[in-house]
Amino acid sequence: MEIFAVVLGALLAVACVAFVARPFLAEPETADDRLAGLTPVEQERLQLAEQRDRALAALKELEFDHRTGKIADADYGELVGPLRREAAEALQALEPVRASAPAPVERVDAPA
Amino acid sequence: MARRRSPARLVIALSVAAALAIFLVYTALAGGTPSLRPSQLAGQDGRVSVAGKVVGTPTGTARGPSGLHFTLRDVQGTASVPVVYRGSVPDLFRTGRDVSVEGSLQNGVFVADKLVTKCPSKYSAKGT
Amino acid sequence: MPELGRAALVVAFGLVVYAALAGGYAAFRGRRRLLESATNALFAAFGSVAVAALVLLAALARHDFSFSYVASHTSRELPLGYTLSAFWGGQQGSLLLWLLVLTGMGSAAVLLNRRLVRGVIPWTVPILGGIASFFALLLVFVASPFGTQVAPADGAGLNPSLQNPYMLAHPPLLYLGYVGLTIPFAFAMGALASGRADERWIVATRRWTLASWTFLGFAILLGAKWAYEEVGWGGWYAWDPVENAALMPWLVATAYLHSVMVQEKKNMLRVWNAVLVAGAFCLSLFGTFLTRSGVINSIHSFTQSSIGAWFLGFIAVVAAASTALILYRLPLLRSRTRLESLVSREAAFLYNNLFLVALALTVLWGVIYPLVSEAVRGVAVTVGAPYYDFFAIAFGLPLVLLMGVGPLIAWRRASLRALGRSLLWPAGVALAVGVMLLAAGAGSSPPGLVGYTFAAFVLAAIVLEFVRGTRARHALGAGSWVGAFTSLIGRNRRRYGGYVVHAAIVLLLVGAVGIGGFGTTREAKVSAGQTMQVGDYTLTYLGSEQRRAANAVEVRARLAVARGGNELGTILAGKNRYLAEQQTSNEVAIRSDWLRAEDLFVIADQFNTDGSVFLKVLINPLVNLIWLAGMLFVAGSLITMWPDAREQRRLARRFVEEGALARA
Repeated sequence: MEIFAVVLGALLAVACVAFVARPFLAEPETADDRLAGLTPVEQERLQLAEQRDRALAALKELEFDHRTGKIADADYGELVGPLRREAAEALQALEPVRASAPAPVERVDAPA
Repeated sequence: MARRRSPARLVIALSVAAALAIFLVYTALAGGTPSLRPSQLAGQDGRVSVAGKVVGTPTGTARGPSGLHFTLRDVQGTASVPVVYRGSVPDLFRTGRDVSVEGSLQNGVFVADKLVTKCPSKYSAKGT
Repeated sequence: MPELGRAALVVAFGLVVYAALAGGYAAFRGRRRLLESATNALFAAFGSVAVAALVLLAALARHDFSFSYVASHTSRELPLGYTLSAFWGGQQGSLLLWLLVLTGMGSAAVLLNRRLVRGVIPWTVPILGGIASFFALLLVFVASPFGTQVAPADGAGLNPSLQNPYMLAHPPLLYLGYVGLTIPFAFAMGALASGRADERWIVATRRWTLASWTFLGFAILLGAKWAYEEVGWGGWYAWDPVENAALMPWLVATAYLHSVMVQEKKNMLRVWNAVLVAGAFCLSLFGTFLTRSGVINSIHSFTQSSIGAWFLGFIAVVAAASTALILYRLPLLRSRTRLESLVSREAAFLYNNLFLVALALTVLWGVIYPLVSEAVRGVAVTVGAPYYDFFAIAFGLPLVLLMGVGPLIAWRRASLRALGRSLLWPAGVALAVGVMLLAAGAGSSPPGLVGYTFAAFVLAAIVLEFVRGTRARHALGAGSWVGAFTSLIGRNRRRYGGYVVHAAIVLLLVGAVGIGGFGTTREAKVSAGQTMQVGDYTLTYLGSEQRRAANAVEVRARLAVARGGNELGTILAGKNRYLAEQQTSNEVAIRSDWLRAEDLFVIADQFNTDGSVFLKVLINPLVNLIWLAGMLFVAGSLITMWPDAREQRRLARRFVEEGALARA
């Protein structure tokens, strides 16, 4: 029983080491070993995209709150303007760089 | 953008400070009940609480006429005191467990009317 | 076979150390293959730990007493379920469970998020590896579950109090909670380390955090149910350090769940969130430390088990490293959005956080103070329920109020007039309920009355939200009212799931206040045939019975219960004497009245030789609401976590968008 256990243990160790070494065994020589990261430009774009999504989500939430009666008409009128401007600005900021990637824009007045 | 400090930070800092102050004061004044060890019991009059380990074999019954008799020893040490307890015995009471009793010392015997066992850490080694 | 277990743990240790070191280097230098290798090491570590776990389970199932661990925690007479549960019943086994869940959840989290948060994963892997290394180190060098001995004839048996279905489920669920909190921590710190300023890791870890928090909360309630039925003193929560050990991380995790919403929507409170998630994780480690090291009994007993020192050291390292990382990335974290008004939803979230953290600190202080006092002054002190009750009320009541007010306040800057209008109806309901309760005699406990009034307020506000939402959806032409209701929840799972969870907490409060503030207790000695009056119940002692079960001798007092002239059947209360473990436990009788939601709780304290029995009887009003609240809590949580196809599509679109930018 003891020798059996030791053999199993050894097999386990070998299997694990093989699995760990796999990336190096599969590609012994590789041209590009660099980890995919984001350039500062891409980082900026990502943040702008998040800003856009945040603005759009805030707009949607405002409309939902208005429709369920939590926000009065007067308050809604006051708040929707700045939010729409923010969303538009965020979309604008993404516009010039958005050459190839078609970004589907959420329709703001779609039913929530 | 103007670097005006957000009130958020101030609110957070003040609240944390206030909360800390509150319970430091509370525990210092009223929160903690001093609990003695059997070795510190000598000469204590009045109502105190004693914490220690149950040793030996308890005799008697807590609801019986003469009460539950057992010996309480210092958790780290040898000083011990005999205890007589009348009341409800919690589930986890047994020899070797750390308990806390409340009562007063009368003629060298601690007469208690409250008994509390600590929730045993079930991960401690068997035997505690 | 123990050799296989030991070998598997050594292999696992090597793997996680590699994952930590190689992964760290790979992330720092940007080496793709090395990172893949480190990630594979994490996956392989799970496999290896699983092998070790299987070895232990097999030994338990076989009653292999040559394993010291099996001998100390089981016996031949123990039913199979409890025998297997002894896996996590002892110190070493519970550490193995921690490592198993950690490597398992860690691997799954990395695997599932490999593409969504590509920049963060390179750092998450070494962090997970590092945490796993600590537990693997303990298991290999300090507390191995695979120690052997000359096999005795029979084992020492399981503590009889633990032979209960709730105690069977409590530890695994608790660990899923504790360990689960590691995932958001690792991702948060990974995001900081990678220098990324975007929030995708929050989206990625949201469900992990929610699930862990739910497991933790549910596990706490299971523990409470166990204490109620098994330890049987009549109460459900004793503010014992062991209980508090799980409550503290849960409170901080609750705060984190709320404030991370503010970060997602308003890009605020980023430093605070980083501190909270690190705090939650450190507290879950601290909780593990409290229940392992024996430090609770006395600060001196802590040195008997060296595990305690290791844990404290590790917590210190984690806390220091997190603090350093947060400080290093402070410029990145500083948000540009300010809190505009102290009356806004952002502010409400902030207040919620402050009260929750204050409550967590209160509990922490209550747990630490006796140890500090003994170490510093040499005077042992006990911190009792009055301290905790005071602060639970002081911080809990405002929290309840915020649960009602928060959802009704607008973001950014709420107009007091609009707020007042929204609050009018719920406040009116609350006032009416308060007056009615006062008339019904609830003034006997002023904090209880206030608690109930606030509870009514919150429930009314929640109902109002559901009604308004359903009406709005119905107006959009969603068909029937039922259809409108279900589609409302379906399209706004986070919001309405959250409301259900709030309702559950309020229900819990109502139950807790009921049993805490409005209960009755009576003690009496009764002989056969005698009756005892408690509240409006009449108990008649019919006699005692004794029988022999698998591993215990059971003695019971049979009592007939009547109320208002109606016979309500008989109940049995008594004691079990466990043979192998040489221990006696109380087996209380609980008669639950579902209509009134109250419990008749009977403890047979002592069976006297003259045939009489000493009884302690309690009436616990509304206690069953606590358990109901637990189930509602899980249901609400599930709603918030439920996968949303539309949300997934939106995220996928965003990924494709950015994927076109980033290199493959």
